[in-house]
Amino acid sequence: MPEHAVGTREEWLAARKRLLEEEKQLTRRSDELARERRQLPWVPVEKEYTFETNEGTKTLPQLFDGRSQLLAYHFMFGPSVEGWPEVGCPGCSYTADTLDVAVEHLPHRDVTFVAVSRAPLEQLEAYRRRMGWSFPWVSYGNSDFNLDFAVFTEAGRRTGTGFNFDTPKHADIDLRNEELHGLSAFALEDGVVYHTYSTYDRGTDALNATWQLLDRAPKGRGDDFEGWPRRRFEYPDGA
Amino acid sequence: MAEHRVGNREEWLEARTALLEREKELTRRSDELARERRELPWVPVEKEYTFETDEGTKTLPQLFAGRSQLLVYHFMFGPAYSAGCPTCSAAADTFDGGVVHLNQRDVTFLCISRAPLEQLQAYKRRMGWSFPWASSAGSDFNFDFGVSFTHEQQRDGADYNYRPVRLLAILEAGVAPEAIESIAADVGTDVAGYLTELPGLSAFALEDGAVYHTYSTYARGGEFVLGFYPFLDRVPRGRDEDDPPENWIRRHDEYGDA
Repeated sequence: MPEHAVGTREEWLAARKRLLEEEKQLTRRSDELARERRQLPWVPVEKEYTFETNEGTKTLPQLFDGRSQLLAYHFMFGPSVEGWPEVGCPGCSYTADTLDVAVEHLPHRDVTFVAVSRAPLEQLEAYRRRMGWSFPWVSYGNSDFNLDFAVFTEAGRRTGTGFNFDTPKHADIDLRNEELHGLSAFALEDGVVYHTYSTYDRGTDALNATWQLLDRAPKGRGDDFEGWPRRRFEYPDGA
Repeated sequence: MAEHRVGNREEWLEARTALLEREKELTRRSDELARERRELPWVPVEKEYTFETDEGTKTLPQLFAGRSQLLVYHFMFGPAYSAGCPTCSAAADTFDGGVVHLNQRDVTFLCISRAPLEQLQAYKRRMGWSFPWASSAGSDFNFDFGVSFTHEQQRDGADYNYRPVRLLAILEAGVAPEAIESIAADVGTDVAGYLTELPGLSAFALEDGAVYHTYSTYARGGEFVLGFYPFLDRVPRGRDEDDPPENWIRRHDEYGDA
């Protein structure tokens, strides 16, 4: 017999239906927060940024690629990341494995997706080829792009601190030269770019379907994160 | 000027920080429901099922492939289909890259459909996926876990997502009949042939040689495998779908330029 409680189909069904009501409430609450995100004020982006891309140097409006909405995934790939200069962050790589093909559906909702990192374009390209990913990936190089979309106060910009809206958990990160993980959203209207939304840390959980699948497996996410998640070629029988 | 309300950085930050608290509550609630799922009783699976796989005929315990947990995505690809469901195909675009990470977490992930194995294999090659995909043709598996329906059940009623549904009555009531007809034609059949299948995800545990069913989810409970929706929930205009949602999802090799 397993250590876990075993029940009849009827017992399971009664418990499952109760849980279903809670799951439906969670879905409705998630829809409600999506509505609240859309009600945030849009903030004009007045600074000019340039990015190195596969099609040459581009400005922020050019990254939209003719669409009206832009999502920038802040992929940690810089000197402070383990494995520098050859490889990007293992956690971001784990997330990239599930978002890679999923984001190909976004242009059909008027959304351009790009990953954005500090590392030079050649390094991003080499790692992308090695991982077999197809999403666009651009380098912000020496610009303040990541800093400006990670901390939103003057004091924060001066010291590089205040990641994830001043969470104490990451108070020691200096974003002037360290990397962050997050997602930022922008709108383009009449030639003006607006910043609309940014999220970090566990705010990006929902973007990774593998976490959500584990939340439905019998033993869940587990609590030993030694050696997992890794870049997939680093697993013992790695692919 | 944007039609949307424009604000300064301070106004945005104040609203964003307030929203962050509600987002954190949602994350904590989601963690809590994951715990509640793990507390459901495990139900022994006593029936024997067989599946056709790339490595020959296998039983349910054999599908675990040496691991202790099994996640099955019920991919809509019924006996009358000539291609897989486009929305399930978009889900596959998402989970395909996650399989290697799940395997390292002692979880085997695979898709199960009722179409013959050769058809699943050919479609998988076309789409460039690598996840394992088994056929339950001739087995009760997809019926027993609530995602396949006989024509009698379509007409007279069956349970889907833990409540009774009469699939043909829904059509007769005129709920999005054109969308359903267009998807049915897209997968190479008629509405009755298409609606023999619905989507779902089921979880199983293997312990001391016995298989236990632990969890199944359906309908919007499985929406998280459509990996582009969480991104759309964070863009300025959101999902931007009608109610009921317009039918915009295509197979990744079937979009025109956008």
